[in-house]
Amino acid sequence: MSRNTSSSGGSGALSHAYIHYPPLKCKNNGSIGLFYDDGNKLLISPTSNQVVSWKTSPYTPQVASTTDTISEGPVLSIRYSLDLKLIAVQRSNNEVQFWVKETGETFSQKSKSESDTILGFFWTDCAVCDIVFVKTSGLDLYSYVPELKSLELIDSKKVNVSWYIYTHESRLVLLASGMQCKSFMGYQLSSAGIIRLPRFEMAMAKSDVNNKPVLSAEDVHIVTVYGRIYCLQVDRVAMLLHSYRFYRDAVIQQGSLPVYSSKIAVSVVDNVLLIHQVDAKVIILYDIFADSRTPVSAPLPLLIRGLPRGNISSSQSANDTSANLYSDDWNFLVPDLVCDVSTGFLWKIHLDLEAISASSSEVPLVLEFLQRRKLEAKKAKDLCLELLRSIMIERRPLPVIFRAVNVLVTSFAYSLKTGSYSKSTPVNSSSGVPENNSGNKPGETSGGGFSTSDSEDNINLKKENGENLMVSEDQQESQSQVVTSATIPPDELYTFVFASVEEEMSAFTDASYLFSILLEFIRSANLEKIKVHPNIYVLAVRLLGRNERYAELGQFVLNKIIEPSKEVALELLEGVGSHNNIQTRKLGVDMLRQLSLHHDYVVLLVQDGCYLEALRYARKHKVSTVRPSLFLEAAYASNEPQHLAAVLRFFGEFIPGFGTTSEHTTYIRALADMPSSITV
Amino acid sequence: MGLSSAAITTSSEALKFCIFDLRRGQHEGEELEKILFFFPADLPFPAQLSVIGLSEGLITFTRIFSPEAACEVIEAELHSHVFFEAEPDIWMVMVVAKSKETEAIWRIEALRSVLKEIHSLFIMFHGSIRVLLDKEPGGGLTRSHLFTFIMDYLNDFLMGNKFVLPNFRDSLKQRGTVQMLTVGREAAIEVQSLVGALDSCMGHTSGYSVILFQDLLVSTTLTPDDTTNLFSYATSRLTPRVLSSGGSSTWSYLRKGNAELASRSANIGSGLDGFRIVRPLQHGKWSKGKDGFLVTDIWGVEVGNLVPTTPTLWLQQTEHKMYLCAYQHKSLTIILLIPVTSMLNGEEGISMLKQQLLENASAKIVKVEEKLAKGWGGENAYHVKGYRYLLVDGDRNISRASPPGKVTTLTKESLLAINKVREDVDLEKSRGNGNNDEKDLEICIRAKNNAWVIARSTRGKELYIVLEKANETLLYASEAIEKFSDRYCNGAFSLD
Repeated sequence: MSRNTSSSGGSGALSHAYIHYPPLKCKNNGSIGLFYDDGNKLLISPTSNQVVSWKTSPYTPQVASTTDTISEGPVLSIRYSLDLKLIAVQRSNNEVQFWVKETGETFSQKSKSESDTILGFFWTDCAVCDIVFVKTSGLDLYSYVPELKSLELIDSKKVNVSWYIYTHESRLVLLASGMQCKSFMGYQLSSAGIIRLPRFEMAMAKSDVNNKPVLSAEDVHIVTVYGRIYCLQVDRVAMLLHSYRFYRDAVIQQGSLPVYSSKIAVSVVDNVLLIHQVDAKVIILYDIFADSRTPVSAPLPLLIRGLPRGNISSSQSANDTSANLYSDDWNFLVPDLVCDVSTGFLWKIHLDLEAISASSSEVPLVLEFLQRRKLEAKKAKDLCLELLRSIMIERRPLPVIFRAVNVLVTSFAYSLKTGSYSKSTPVNSSSGVPENNSGNKPGETSGGGFSTSDSEDNINLKKENGENLMVSEDQQESQSQVVTSATIPPDELYTFVFASVEEEMSAFTDASYLFSILLEFIRSANLEKIKVHPNIYVLAVRLLGRNERYAELGQFVLNKIIEPSKEVALELLEGVGSHNNIQTRKLGVDMLRQLSLHHDYVVLLVQDGCYLEALRYARKHKVSTVRPSLFLEAAYASNEPQHLAAVLRFFGEFIPGFGTTSEHTTYIRALADMPSSITV
Repeated sequence: MGLSSAAITTSSEALKFCIFDLRRGQHEGEELEKILFFFPADLPFPAQLSVIGLSEGLITFTRIFSPEAACEVIEAELHSHVFFEAEPDIWMVMVVAKSKETEAIWRIEALRSVLKEIHSLFIMFHGSIRVLLDKEPGGGLTRSHLFTFIMDYLNDFLMGNKFVLPNFRDSLKQRGTVQMLTVGREAAIEVQSLVGALDSCMGHTSGYSVILFQDLLVSTTLTPDDTTNLFSYATSRLTPRVLSSGGSSTWSYLRKGNAELASRSANIGSGLDGFRIVRPLQHGKWSKGKDGFLVTDIWGVEVGNLVPTTPTLWLQQTEHKMYLCAYQHKSLTIILLIPVTSMLNGEEGISMLKQQLLENASAKIVKVEEKLAKGWGGENAYHVKGYRYLLVDGDRNISRASPPGKVTTLTKESLLAINKVREDVDLEKSRGNGNNDEKDLEICIRAKNNAWVIARSTRGKELYIVLEKANETLLYASEAIEKFSDRYCNGAFSLD
């Protein structure tokens, strides 16, 4: 199972998720273990008297470590406080020691009795307390009193605990109890307050009557996608992954996914669920936005990209890494990191959106998937545009295109409604924007975490804080614009799809094909109450004109399916259609008048020889911007002395001082020279 | 020839109608050759020839001065002769008696539009007369076709035992134009989406679709001319109103008990020539099938399985032969035209197309029907209080008028006045035709009964309005027009 072949790092290899070489190397001498502090996104490697930590967000392999000094002693677990001012180290089953970084002072917190074992602890941004100890007897909630340099017990929740899991992302602690450890209590400690979940049981199949399996902590995963909190539980006997969704007042089982490995790991990248089938070394992707249990794609292995070439024999480390995919030393960290404890390598898992979109022929579904991606919004957006463009050039059946167009329009409308769409915001040049990292994550779910089933959008919104970080990390995207959403506004759809497709499609039948798509787009936009860019109407006019469907064009304009605008009016007047069809030109003239574009309308009337009508119109609407000479020339050209006289008279009366201008004298003379001027 | 019933002879003294070909029968003794159609058919040949001879003489004479447009009308003391050159050297002439006592006050253009309509409908179903004559120099078949066709057509004008041709009471109507349903943008988009679906049902056959709601046009992909023809056929033979009234037009109750004009002659005709004469205008022959498609046996029945043959017609501009396939859902009538040449397997292809339509478009059809029905204001939807009007968009062959029920409330004086005004406008227009310019025109008169009768024409659009209960002043009348123009015509007639 050599994956050395994939060392080229190209995306040609079959995989939908990849890690990028080089990893963040978290190695220091004398390390006594690696710990992940998910509250601060720090990877911590303590030695006997030092704490070396690496920031993992934003993820850069080059990140420098920070070192703090602590006293010697065993380290069972270690976490920085959320303001990074304190370090808490669990020294034993009943003692946690604290350092105040600023002063170097220390203090300890011990459990009262020997039997009351501390299982672990975590810092919280919950309103009532700062740190929570999880003990076999329940939860202890403490707040830190800086003046006294000690903890003050705020509250205790008495409950038997066998083991627990907690993720800072969800602010949710799940406490397992019972013989099989399948009975659960849960608390969410968010800034909005503490929510107690109803007790619930997880499903466990029995292999036989007397053999009752015991659920272990590594078989339960808390997952946050689209701002919803799920719990995934591996049932090793049934080979199923059960999912539960947490609501404020209920825990509801959501159905099960099949698993193909006794060991399962879970990552979440950009709200996509990655189920690592560790034994089989493959990943199955799920996008559980619409409660669909269908995988996004077939199971495929993880890929390492960017391994230096020619290192297969020479570079030991690279060889190791590729051989060590899914080794026993791999630790999956919430939400998308993998740490190889033996080597100290920290990898970040990425999605290969291109590969995912290329692997499915169901373009509308792929578009839906891409539209939901936030992390690589720019890439997702570009892929969407390219997909739509290519299926149009391939001339896929119209219903497919219609569905694809609808997906994009609905998605854009949705983003408008939720306010998450804003025009791309300029960002000062992308050299390592000093974003406040710690401020980012807490904001993410602090709004209460548990969503009622219809409040997800808020979370999507908040997630966008994180996007800036991602883009500044991807140095190759050195644009000055940051795309925060994959949704596509109509004008871009025009520029990058419709206009560009029009260039490539020139045949007669192509025009009507493209027109049908435009119409569907207009329909879809109308249903969603989105304003359509005039260029799209101009294109529609042009396509109808090219097929000489003038009568229909008239219907479209009169029914206002093609909304009036100056651009459209000019296309009607000067575009393809107007050369062959006077009616089309008239539509343009009428449109100018309806739009009250008085100046253009008057000029056009004069051009068409209707200078008297133009004068009347100019007087009524007080159009003074058209030069008198235009009217005079037209009247002179018509060879009707009465008309010329009328025009002269008009200007003489309505423009003060016209009688003294050179124009006046010129045309008075011209009038006199006209043959039949006074004969009648 | 010479087949007619006594009943019609008595009823039709006031009307003579003939079609003749100047290229035929130019030698002495062969004069009868040039007659292609004559009504009444039982008029002795010398009498027929005298009508035609007079007409021919006038045409020849006037051609000296105006080779392009020869004689248009002869106004004699007791009769008006209306001329129409349907095809080069093929003339249609209608002779109507004038009478002040009866309702026989005609507008020439209205009569000519009847001739035009007959001709364009004939072409739509049978092709041009010249082509028919070229195919069969004897002319027997052409005569049978013309006879049955025109008699079926004239049937629509038969009221009791009399022909009631469009007279001054129809001044606020424009034959040969299409009446459109006004729809909102959203409904219009849905309609066009349906058009797209219909299009894809027809595949790559480059067919056309026409959609009607009640008797109003909703959408068409045909050229304006073909649309007009198909529209007048659909509204007189296919729409739900026609089908529900027993397959005949609005006057059917008046005609009950009357023998159909052409039925006997058609039978005899087909017996004579050994040809089957297709009679597309025959009444009561269309009905709605269980699957929603309209069926008729006018075009015959397939031997063996009793499936009616799909109707065919010709497009005017492209001269393509098309299958006609009509589907009806409640008030919505959908007509599909599919090129015969693209349907290699003929009837089988049509039934596949029908299947396609039922499968892929019926949901949209239901949706569109509901939407249109919801937005429709009923038969008086386009009534504007206080106004009796006719609005004609000559460029697009569209007209809209006050509902007939409202027009009948006008007094005879008003109607005669508007009839007169329209004649004047017609005259002005035919004068302008020469230099092909669209002059603005404005006529505003005060009729004997103090009604204001107003005509405005600008840039290819015409507006006729009768205001009976209007104020004394001209200013009032002209403001009323302005208001109307701004509200209902996008300000097209607002002159200053």
